[in-house]
Amino acid sequence: MRNWSSTAKFWPAIGLLLLLGIWEAGVRLFALPGWLLPPPSSVITSLCNNFFLIADHSAYTLLEAAIGYAVSVLLAVFLALTFALSPLIKKLLYPLLILSQTIPLITLAVLFTIWFGWGLLPKVLVVVLVCFFPIALSLMNAISNVDFDLISLFKSMGARPLTIFRMVELPLAMPGLFSGLRISATYSIMAAVIAEWMGAQHGLGYYMILQQKSFAIDRVLAAVLVICLLSLLMVKLVDMLEYLFIPWNREQVRPDYQPLN
Amino acid sequence: MKQKLVLVFIGLFLFSLAGCRSQAPTAPGSQPQKIKVLLDWVPNTNHAGLYIAKDQGYYAQEGLDVEIVQPPEGGAAQLIASGQADFAVSYQEEVTMARAQNLPLLAIAAVIQHNSSGFASPQSKNIKTPLDFQGKTYGGWGSPSETAMLKALMKKYGGDVNRINIVNIGTADFFTSVQKDVDFSWIFYGWTGIEAEQKGLKLNFIPLDKEDPAFDFYTPVLIASEKTASSNPQMVERFMKATSRGYLFAVNNPDAASNIMVKAVPELNASLVNASLRYLAPRFQADAPRWGEMKKSTWDAYTAFLVENGLLAQGIDSDKAFTNRFLPAK
Repeated sequence: MRNWSSTAKFWPAIGLLLLLGIWEAGVRLFALPGWLLPPPSSVITSLCNNFFLIADHSAYTLLEAAIGYAVSVLLAVFLALTFALSPLIKKLLYPLLILSQTIPLITLAVLFTIWFGWGLLPKVLVVVLVCFFPIALSLMNAISNVDFDLISLFKSMGARPLTIFRMVELPLAMPGLFSGLRISATYSIMAAVIAEWMGAQHGLGYYMILQQKSFAIDRVLAAVLVICLLSLLMVKLVDMLEYLFIPWNREQVRPDYQPLN
Repeated sequence: MKQKLVLVFIGLFLFSLAGCRSQAPTAPGSQPQKIKVLLDWVPNTNHAGLYIAKDQGYYAQEGLDVEIVQPPEGGAAQLIASGQADFAVSYQEEVTMARAQNLPLLAIAAVIQHNSSGFASPQSKNIKTPLDFQGKTYGGWGSPSETAMLKALMKKYGGDVNRINIVNIGTADFFTSVQKDVDFSWIFYGWTGIEAEQKGLKLNFIPLDKEDPAFDFYTPVLIASEKTASSNPQMVERFMKATSRGYLFAVNNPDAASNIMVKAVPELNASLVNASLRYLAPRFQADAPRWGEMKKSTWDAYTAFLVENGLLAQGIDSDKAFTNRFLPAK
């Protein structure tokens, strides 16, 4: 089992190389012009040639995503805990939470810009809007899915509700929280880019519009590549935090947890 | 559940197929050719000739069934080059940049003979000359030609372009953006300028054609792909004949033209359309021998300007970037 999983790490890389190879060969074979589809090699070249400019814009995007993500985590955990402790507040606010996810993001991004200008705030708000929901929802579900037998056991030993919450519900909900954190991490960079697309003076979204309007598709794709890498970085960070914070969950296969998740 | 979803999707797919079929022309005998025209922005009076030609049946008389489509955020040039649409509204700046990247497209008519655009700001911002741009925020749409223009103006007046804060305001409109952080924007006087007049907002307007002969470029223009122009010249000629009639209609009857425009796009503000078309009527053709005609010197001058300001590594061949050959003979 172990051996297999270590060789399995190579397979995604091989898949990626295969895809890039087909792309490169296809573009060369059909002699596609650069404004239509540049080959991966010229995307890499333009990433190297514009490295510092792209890095500069990436820093802004990363900052927006990071702030937005941090606010999302705080907001989501606060909401989920409040909902868990007070069913009344849950009844009051839960529909609004769902409603917030039904508003077309593009429209809202434009409105945020009109209301809050072209600075950091509207971008952070878009990121929060995209990221807080998966975290809140997964934590809420995880808390409500905690094995009732365990809670009964603690009750029978005379534990108070808050103690049960702290010792049973919260620790058991952690894996659920982290799955939400991971989903949101993949969205965070993309959300910041969408917000920049709607109006900005820095960031990868702004850079991509500029290059798109100069018909430099290789540079647009170079920025896409950076966006993918940054998103993966965010996910890896969450994985690391999970490893650190919930050591009891390090083993992937835990038969005793299976029915809970 | 999954099976049900699949069924729903198949149903939707079939339904959409049926929808496509019912839209196909069914009139016996005639088979009008389907043509797609992409706008450059939300519909406005720059597009009047297109809407008039469609409404008055000029396109139908040429055997064309024209569909007017709003562009995606990315802009129309690539869609024209890749053959996703037949014609589009663009600008000389865009065509020049596109030609420099070897996009196979060309301009086939100037919609307005002289550049009626310029930098506008509410009077309260106190921007009277380009020098006042310094320390202010410019709200643009993320095109390299904007930076070039600001750079050139600063050079001319001895200012520093780095002191202008350039923001991409995306799709936000002039009036909302100048309420917030933006101080000035690049507008078409015939649309946004007229709208400001109607709203009673006093503007400072710096018209570009007065600043430098190189800035009197063609904006907007109609474009087509090289492939369309070479493989289907008769169709392009018929399209231009009808479009030209549409714009000449607007030149001669601005009031009737604005009624047609508002009928075609009911979301528009009727009194703005009327005032705008009255402003544009003498300007569509202006001093040109016929509507749409372009001069090589104008194309050369703007290219030279871009090269001078380091925005183009080398010039483009103006003869490949535009043509008058599809315009109806005078």
